[in-house]
Amino acid sequence: MNASLHDNAATWRLRPIITARTIIVACIVLVALGYAGRRTEMDKLAQLSWQAIGSTIGLAPQSQVGDGLVRVVGGMFPLQLAEVRETARIPDFDPNGLPWGAHLETRTTTQTRIDPQTLEQRSESERTTVLVEPYGYVLQVARLLLETIVIAVWATVLALLLAFPCASLAATNYTPHRLIYTVVRGSSGVLRAVPELISALLLVLVFGFGPIAGVLALGLHTAGFLCKFFAEDIENADRAPQDALRALGASKIKVLRSAVLPLVGASYLAYVQYILERNIRSATVIGIVGAGGIGQELKGRFEMFDFGHVGTILCAILLTVLTLEVVTGRLRQRLL
Amino acid sequence: MLQLSGVSVSYADGTRALDDVSLSVPQGQFCVLLGPSGAGKSTLLKAINGLVIPDQGEIHIAGRIHHGSGRFPVATIHQSIDLVLRASVLDNVLHGALSEVSAVAAMFGWFGRQREREACALLERVGLSEAHLYRRAAELSGGQQQRVGVARAFMKQPQVVLADEPVASLDPRTSRDILQLLREAARERNVTVLCSLHDVGLAHEFADRIVAMRAGRIVFDGQPCTLDEMSVQRLYATAA
Repeated sequence: MNASLHDNAATWRLRPIITARTIIVACIVLVALGYAGRRTEMDKLAQLSWQAIGSTIGLAPQSQVGDGLVRVVGGMFPLQLAEVRETARIPDFDPNGLPWGAHLETRTTTQTRIDPQTLEQRSESERTTVLVEPYGYVLQVARLLLETIVIAVWATVLALLLAFPCASLAATNYTPHRLIYTVVRGSSGVLRAVPELISALLLVLVFGFGPIAGVLALGLHTAGFLCKFFAEDIENADRAPQDALRALGASKIKVLRSAVLPLVGASYLAYVQYILERNIRSATVIGIVGAGGIGQELKGRFEMFDFGHVGTILCAILLTVLTLEVVTGRLRQRLL
Repeated sequence: MLQLSGVSVSYADGTRALDDVSLSVPQGQFCVLLGPSGAGKSTLLKAINGLVIPDQGEIHIAGRIHHGSGRFPVATIHQSIDLVLRASVLDNVLHGALSEVSAVAAMFGWFGRQREREACALLERVGLSEAHLYRRAAELSGGQQQRVGVARAFMKQPQVVLADEPVASLDPRTSRDILQLLREAARERNVTVLCSLHDVGLAHEFADRIVAMRAGRIVFDGQPCTLDEMSVQRLYATAA
């Protein structure tokens, strides 16, 4: 090595780590964040959070956040497991043909009423017979969850059926024409851009309340995602096997099937698994706008302040999502 | 017979990769292309395979002008391992027959029992066993993968096999095995092999004929015994 080379390198000018431009950009970002923070009540969030922490460690008398949390979470427990219905409200009720595990109870309720003649308050006791199914509500939630999962599965199938053939049209290296590429990519972008809750709201108006709107809203939205993921994988697939098959005289579609599909198959499976999970989570939400599934029940119970029921539904959703995570993870391991 | 008459290829940046190349390789001959990097060996193979369209000249295979159609009986073995690594060994060999089956059959992977039997016979010929049949190509060693590559090339039932540095990534012993296999398989089927190599020793050992290239031109064409040490030094020394 020549020593003079080292001497020259010592005089090379290095760029400063912090420049005036860095400071100006940092100031602009801070001012923008501060302004946006005021608009989104970040200052209030900080104040309420400090209040809650203070209340927890005994420095503040009470906290709005803490009280709210105790009210909501406390109301959820114990979870509502049983289904209790007045027999008088059950059509064609047969006391000799009770459902398995169910029993009848007579309950006395006291109600205060105003006598329309004397305008005096009177307490009246009323005896009602109720049918108690000890795990009736759990079973109802399970039924609704199953409907939710079925909506999600069909939405995923629909998304797959739409996205799979479109993926090669939306891949730059396999599309037959630039115009087709633009149209397919644009359409998948539109499908992704419209949130499923909004499309569910519109589809409920078209198809009526129920799972059809849910399946379509989720299926179309996630088809946009799958199409983009699939197409990008086709574009990024290893070129060497494709070139080799092309050199052996295989047409584009044969190369796509024989060289690209085996390479991208594993990631396709991972995308479909992710979309299924996402659809199950979303299917619990879109029920809120009447598109079927457990969301409808959740919304109804929430509006009636039945937090015990809400707790049961939330626990069931959590359990389902965790189970799905484990099952699909193992399935993927076996298939790959 | 493979015949090239005055073939020239220029790339978009003006580089003249092949300059008036004429070459005639009889059926069944194992012809090795030598030359430094950038001499035009790969371009010559691509032109014969139809992946590069010559500016001038004609390429004849078995008396017919070759336009680069996939149905022409030319198969290629590449320098890098270019198998579909996630597909099975059998599927990879069957890919050699893709130009022979319909698009629908290819979509469903239906090659027919007869082609599957042919693929099995080729795999046995290149030294693989039934145990390898449904293993993923990724699970094989580099040498075994190149053997599958050879089987895939012969699956097309070619009259000409183009091998672009097929042993570049292999150890010396495996390289010898693969070239031996390629030469024997070609002789059994009377297939012309045009194989580019960097190892002059391997060229001397396996070639029926050596063609040396430099700057897109053929600078030597003869039997291995006529390529002396001085010629080899001149061939590589003047390269940039």
